[in-house]
Amino acid sequence: MRITTSRQRSFRRNRKGLSNIIVVVLSLVVLSVIVVNVVLWDYQMNQADWERTQEEFTVNSVSRVTRSSWFVTQTEFQVTEGNRVSGSYLDTQIADGSYERFRESPPPRGFDANGTFSIDTSSFPLAYVDGMEILLRYAVDDVGERWFLKAFNWTSGAYSDSGFNSTNGHAPGSGWNSYAVNLTNMWHSYVSPEGRIIIKIRDQQPDSTRTNIDIDYLAVRAIVNGAIFTFQNQGSRTAHLVSIWVNNATAHMCYETDLFVNSGETYSYTRLDIRLPDGEYIAKVISERGNTAVHIGN
Amino acid sequence: MLRIWRNKRAITPVLSNVLLLVIAVAGMSISITATYVITGNFRETMGERFIVEDVWFRPGVVSVYLRNTGKTSISVAGVYVDYITQSFTSLQLEPLEHGWTNLTYTGIPNTVYYIKVITSRGTQVADYYKSPA
Repeated sequence: MRITTSRQRSFRRNRKGLSNIIVVVLSLVVLSVIVVNVVLWDYQMNQADWERTQEEFTVNSVSRVTRSSWFVTQTEFQVTEGNRVSGSYLDTQIADGSYERFRESPPPRGFDANGTFSIDTSSFPLAYVDGMEILLRYAVDDVGERWFLKAFNWTSGAYSDSGFNSTNGHAPGSGWNSYAVNLTNMWHSYVSPEGRIIIKIRDQQPDSTRTNIDIDYLAVRAIVNGAIFTFQNQGSRTAHLVSIWVNNATAHMCYETDLFVNSGETYSYTRLDIRLPDGEYIAKVISERGNTAVHIGN
Repeated sequence: MLRIWRNKRAITPVLSNVLLLVIAVAGMSISITATYVITGNFRETMGERFIVEDVWFRPGVVSVYLRNTGKTSISVAGVYVDYITQSFTSLQLEPLEHGWTNLTYTGIPNTVYYIKVITSRGTQVADYYKSPA
C-alpha cells in the first residue's frame, strides 16, 4: 500500500514524463489523420481507376433516321356528311384488311369526315421535324370519283390542302388503294404546337352513286433527319454515357447526353438533333469514367 | 477574500496552466492546419484525372477537347506538340466539366504528332494524333 502511494506521488511529480506522453500521443493522432486521409483517398482513386478498367462498351451501329413511327387516330372520326356503317376507328390503326366502313349521304351523295392525330412531341419535338406525311389505305365500291385529303390549317382556321404535294386527289382502283400525301414545307400551318393534326377525307363532288368507303389505315408521320445509335455494354459495370461526337474532315461536333446502359444491355438511342454528315465519318461515345468507343460510318 | 489576493503562489500555477493550455491549443491548431494543407494538396494531386476527348486539326489551329474525369478541378498549364511547348487558350475545368483549348499551331496534313497536355499539378496525358489528309 505504501509502495503504490509513493509511486503515484512520484508519477504526479514527474511532469516531464507526462508531457512527453501527451506529445507522443498528439503526434500519433496527427500522423494517423494524415495517413488515414491519404490512404482513404488513394483507395477511392484506385477504385475509380479499377472501375474504369472494368467498363467496356461499344457502338454497334449508327444510322440515319428519316421518318418517325406512324401516328394513328385515338378517337372516332367525326362524320359531317354521310354516315358510319360498320367498324370503328380501331380498325383504321393497322393496315391489315380490317376496316371501318362509311357511306355517302343520301342525295346529294357526298362524304366528309375528319379525324384527329397526335404527334408524340416528346419523342419527336417539332423543332427537329422537317415535314409531315399522311397515308390513307382505302377501298371504294365506285371508282368513278376522286378522293381528297385535307388538313386543318391552324393559322387560317379552315381545312385546306395548300402546300400539299398532291392537291388533285386520288383516283381509286378496285381493291385496296394507297394514297400518300406530303405536306412539304407548309406542315407548320397544319400542326398545332402540341402536335395535333386534324385530317379530313372527302369525296370529289356529288354524283349518281352513293359510294361506300372502307378505311383500312389512316396515319401521319413526321419527316426528320436524325441519327439512331446502338450501344452495347459488354462490361461488368453500368456505363454512363455523357458525350457523343460526330467527326468528319470538315467538322467535329460534340453532343452532350445523359444515358445509362446497364451491364450486358444493348440500347438503341435516337437523337433528332444529330445530323450525320455525308461521306465517311467517325462517331465517338465518351463515358463519365473517361472511356471511349468509336464507330466508323459512311 | 483578502487571503486569496495575498496568496500569489496559488495564482501562479493557475496562470501557468492556462498559458500551457493556450500554447497546446495553438500548437494543435497549427498542426491540424498543416495536416489539412499537406494532405489537401496531396489529395488534389492524387485525384486528378482527365482525358483528351478529341483533337481537331484546323488551318493554323489545333483544338484539343478535354474532360475532367477526376475528383478535383484542373488547370491546363502546358501543351506540347512534339515536345515543343505551344501557346494555348487557358482552360480550367471543375470535376465533370469539359471544354476546348486551342493551340496556335499549323499542322502538316497526314502527319503524326505527339501531343502532351500537362496540368498545374503535374498530371499529364499524352498520345499520338494524326492530322487529316
